[in-house]
Amino acid sequence: MDPSEVEFLAEKEMVKIIPNFSLDKVYLIGGDLGPFNPGLPVDVPVWLALNLKQRQKCRIVPPAWMDVEKLEEMRDLERKEDMFTPVPSPYYMELTKLLLNYASDNIPKADEIRTLVKDIWDTRVAKLRLSADSFISQMEAHAKLDNLTLMEINTIRAFLLDSLNCMYKLRSNMQPGSSKGQLTDY
Amino acid sequence: MPCERKPMRYDHSEGHTEVCFDDSGKFIVTCGNDGDVRIWESLDDDDPKFITVGEKAYSLALKKGKLVTASSNNTVQIHTFPDGDPDGILTRFTTHATHVAFNSSGSRVAAGSSDFMVKVVEVSDSSQQKTLRGHEAPVLSVTFDPKDDFLASASCDGSVVVWNIEEQTQVISWPLLQKTNDFSNAKSLCRLAWQPGTAKFLAVPVETKVHLYERGSWDHVSTLSDDLLTQPINVVAWSPCGKFLAAGSVGGSLNVWDVNSKLCVERQKHEKGFTVCSLAWHPSGSQIAYTDTEGCLGLLDGLSTSTSTTNTTKAPEKKPAEDYDALFDDDDDDRLMDEGLSDTNSPVKKPVAGDDDDDDDFLMPATGRVRNRGAILDDENSLDTGSLRLGQDKFGDDDDDTGSAVMPAAAPLVPLRPVYEGPLPSAPQKAFQPGSTPAHLTHRFMMWNSVGIVRGYNDEQDNAIDVEFHDTAVHHAMHLTNSLGHTMADLSQEAVLLACPSTDELASKLQCLHFSSWDTNKEWMVDLPKGEDARALCLGQGWVAVATSTLTLRLFSIGGLQREIFSLPGPVVCMVGHGEQLLIIYHRATGFDGEQALGVQLLQFGRRKRQLINGEPFPLSLKSYLSWLGFTAEGTPCYVDSEGVVRMLNRSLGNTWTPVCNTRETCKSKSDHYWVVGVHENPQQLRCIPCKGSRYPPTLPRPAVAILPFKLPLCQTTTEKGQMEEQLWRSVLFHNHYSFLSSSGYEIDEEGQSRSQKEQQELLMKMFALSCKLEREFRCVELAELMTQNVVTLAIRYASRSRRMALAQRLSEIALEKANQVQEEEPEEPEEEPEYSRRTSGYGQSEVTGGRCSNRRYQEEEEEQVEELGEEDDGQEMDTEEAAETRKRVNPFAKEAGSPVKPSLTPIGRVGRANPFKMLGAGKPSASSGQPRVTNILDNMTSSKKSAPLRSAGKPNKDPVLKPLAPRTKTKTQSTLLQMTGTKASSKKTQANAEPAAEQQKQPDVPPPASPADNTENKRPKTGFQLWLEENRKTIIADHPDLEETDVIKEAMGRFRTLSAEDRLSWTERAKGQTGDAADLKKRKRAEGEEGGGGRDVENENGRAEADENSAKKKKSLDPTSKLSAFAFNKS
Repeated sequence: MDPSEVEFLAEKEMVKIIPNFSLDKVYLIGGDLGPFNPGLPVDVPVWLALNLKQRQKCRIVPPAWMDVEKLEEMRDLERKEDMFTPVPSPYYMELTKLLLNYASDNIPKADEIRTLVKDIWDTRVAKLRLSADSFISQMEAHAKLDNLTLMEINTIRAFLLDSLNCMYKLRSNMQPGSSKGQLTDY
Repeated sequence: MPCERKPMRYDHSEGHTEVCFDDSGKFIVTCGNDGDVRIWESLDDDDPKFITVGEKAYSLALKKGKLVTASSNNTVQIHTFPDGDPDGILTRFTTHATHVAFNSSGSRVAAGSSDFMVKVVEVSDSSQQKTLRGHEAPVLSVTFDPKDDFLASASCDGSVVVWNIEEQTQVISWPLLQKTNDFSNAKSLCRLAWQPGTAKFLAVPVETKVHLYERGSWDHVSTLSDDLLTQPINVVAWSPCGKFLAAGSVGGSLNVWDVNSKLCVERQKHEKGFTVCSLAWHPSGSQIAYTDTEGCLGLLDGLSTSTSTTNTTKAPEKKPAEDYDALFDDDDDDRLMDEGLSDTNSPVKKPVAGDDDDDDDFLMPATGRVRNRGAILDDENSLDTGSLRLGQDKFGDDDDDTGSAVMPAAAPLVPLRPVYEGPLPSAPQKAFQPGSTPAHLTHRFMMWNSVGIVRGYNDEQDNAIDVEFHDTAVHHAMHLTNSLGHTMADLSQEAVLLACPSTDELASKLQCLHFSSWDTNKEWMVDLPKGEDARALCLGQGWVAVATSTLTLRLFSIGGLQREIFSLPGPVVCMVGHGEQLLIIYHRATGFDGEQALGVQLLQFGRRKRQLINGEPFPLSLKSYLSWLGFTAEGTPCYVDSEGVVRMLNRSLGNTWTPVCNTRETCKSKSDHYWVVGVHENPQQLRCIPCKGSRYPPTLPRPAVAILPFKLPLCQTTTEKGQMEEQLWRSVLFHNHYSFLSSSGYEIDEEGQSRSQKEQQELLMKMFALSCKLEREFRCVELAELMTQNVVTLAIRYASRSRRMALAQRLSEIALEKANQVQEEEPEEPEEEPEYSRRTSGYGQSEVTGGRCSNRRYQEEEEEQVEELGEEDDGQEMDTEEAAETRKRVNPFAKEAGSPVKPSLTPIGRVGRANPFKMLGAGKPSASSGQPRVTNILDNMTSSKKSAPLRSAGKPNKDPVLKPLAPRTKTKTQSTLLQMTGTKASSKKTQANAEPAAEQQKQPDVPPPASPADNTENKRPKTGFQLWLEENRKTIIADHPDLEETDVIKEAMGRFRTLSAEDRLSWTERAKGQTGDAADLKKRKRAEGEEGGGGRDVENENGRAEADENSAKKKKSLDPTSKLSAFAFNKS
């Protein structure tokens, strides 16, 4: 799976916008949107929000969690805990990136939020690598990881699967004749 | 000791806060983490004055008009109080100070700091400093000995130290506390307190107890404790009389001990259990203010320390004493008498450890009682609430001697506790612009309404006004420099109106930016006459109104023409305009006891100028003032008072005001409010901005609008019955605007109207079923009287099915009555009809006659079209005439049946676009026409916003929302109709000329709403009525030979109605059978389509317009009944 595909999925998330135009309900296959009243917040999917924003047809109201204090709290918790903590949105990384790229003028303290989300992301990915490492080093057959987001799984999937495959091959080669295994040690 | 815990209110941002009273007790002063010192006139003060002292304020002390604060820049600074001017820096530390305290005389300040030092500084000369070194950790708190010899301090190193100030040496040190490394980590703030007056005891909070140390011997003489206290005590404070000690703990407990008896006389718990980090007694001793670490401020009120001592047996003796006291003017006498009295009956005080007579003498003069009396006798202007309370206690006596002296001065300013129950005049509310925030703010909203936002900035860099439109299609945003100092603004779809008060040189000015003007001059300005100030202003459609300080109302046209001038009955409070209506609120008289006496005037301009409400009293909640006034988008007056109650004009009940919502019910905390920005009746929305801890929002961060639902405050809305009643009457109330709009000649959303009528009838039916179930037959009949005829028949069926024959009998009587009513009304002119019956008649007839009437109507319209083509250039008079005509022609039937022309010609968004994906029948009718438009809209939006096509495309879309704001009159509709059918019209013209005559002839045979474009009308199926008419036409004409064609039809309709239901049905059946031959194929197809539930668009040969009409008509006539009957069957 491509990161862009994950991003595509994230664009289905709803976000609040304040439109500056008036439009009746729009009926789409995915569901009805609107009605759009100027000045009145309305929930729309991210893709539409960004599209309207780029055409200067709306202001985006950042989601409640996209707030410096809340994110700081979250980052601290994430750093403190060994396990993965629940994230505010299953697409927090994608949404942050999308919204900050296209609507940073509507989000107070955009730069701080960007840094904080990056911090959270880094912490989590580090944890992920760490757990992958211990998973392999302890030769476990299975492991359970909670609260991972799609994007995080996606970043490690390709590498982890390939490397596990590789190791499996190596190990299965090692098994039948122990001599071979010893040889590799040299 | 009874006391009242007032609800907490938001005060500062989270973190350490401190509170104190000023010397007079008039203000509560707080400081907090946001670096502001706020000065509250009372707990309910929503707009406290504030002084910014730094990034963070750690501690404050206030005495004799000097405000000393410890702020985050490591300084201890002085500000004047209450002006808040900086008055120099008192001292500096290497890190921030943690606690500052005044001595009793206010000449010195002690400050403890995180750099382990305590400094004592002379207020008058900050160079005279004494530094007390010896603590080995940050200092937690400091307190002066009231006699100024000693100073006590507590520190994070665990020690509590008493210092000799002069010698700068430690007198004694107790290791009492837990050691910590920093102020912020300390378990307890350990705020020490020295007994005022005698200075005998030093109170030290130690864990969950308070230790009392005796001055001089420094022995631990007693301990105050309470079993219920489990968390460490943070802060202690002596009452001003020195007899009580209050303590606040980490867990949020508040305790008050009587020091003499060592009994806990008062226990209170913080409402959320947050840590109490500061406590202060009111100088009268009747209140305790406290703050918590979450930045909230609370108040314990009604502590009776000052008036009654803890011993109740003393009370009877005290009463006469007070009476005597009141008679003596000499303070000394009072004191003597008091001392004498207290000496004779002070058994309570005896048990106090180490007490002697000497102390007693010290104690008593210091009690609140003597002080308070002093306040009354000496200082009549004092607003000391303690004294007021005293006045209340012995109200009867006060009335004669002191009461009269206290009353006038105290009157308007005591929100906390009125002194005296008699009527006191309340301060009249100042004039304001609804939707604006207070004028003294540097950044404020000058107007927020449904059109846009006007913001005013007035700070060092900039004095400017920003105008922003919610809908950018109205106009682009504007930035104006505010060189004239405008303070008032209004905004409409046409213009921005600004006004400034007069200055010494310049007159008060009115400036109008008329951006919708089509000429090049987009702005005009008017000077008001000298000595006249604009107080309130508003914009309507095509006019501008300004109310001035000379009780005059000036009316201008939007282009700047002076039009009217008239006098107002009182000083204006505020004013709003909408369309042709102007609503004025003014002071009718002086209000009493916090009430406002307001009056209301509602005027209507336009062609029929009149006053709809002339100066009636304006209802407000008790002790509240007006906070918002406006019109709903549909044009119904509406207002909000300071209690958050939203009221709306009920035009159908003699212009009364009905409460429709209480915004305070949805608030989380007492100090939260909703700032209303708009009201919509369809859909029912109350648009407002939630404000945490204030009445109005800040400009930054940009506030978001929330939507509240309406709810009539009916009884028992938790029960099913109450809920349905509420829904019904709300629906009826919010439905009133239709009749208003149609009566004043505006185009209305007919679909919405019929929808809400259907909803009402459904609710009535449900309520009917419910009362049936509850065996409330009388109630059933009452309900039936509200129903329309059709629904009554359903009700009859329901009743007979549930075997209530008596009920069914009565209902059938009602049904008959209603049927008669319908007939009687039929020939009447619609305008005179009472509201309700009109609705009834319309409903009953729409099925049969709707088509016919619209047909008639269409004819007329068509004629008019032809006329108009010729007379387009004629002047205004022609227009008015025509408008009057059209207004008369607005007939109730057409409203119900839906004019056949509109859906096809004026693309009202709601009607025009439907869900192409929707599988339900309801979405069907216009599906075929809707689909292309949906794609259009998105296409249009992709094109650049500047391009012309978008604007034109955007306009029809705007309609559903903004239509009520810029309502189009009928004449206008017709002119657009003309344009839109421009191409058609030319070809039609000849046809139209020929047709009226022909149609007149044809009419009885011609089926209803014949669209001019299609010549297929003859193919249309005939209705039962038409068949019947064909047969009976001759007899009618025979009976009334002189009747006009239309009258014949009317008469026929009347007769047809009188037929029994079965007969009518049989006619309808026949009609079906007959048309079956003609339109056989078509019909069947349609039926198939309907059964399949899919879209139906087979009738292309008939043209799309006709299909729409058909289905619309079908839907309207069939839907309500079929749905309801389905419902009725389900129930039975």
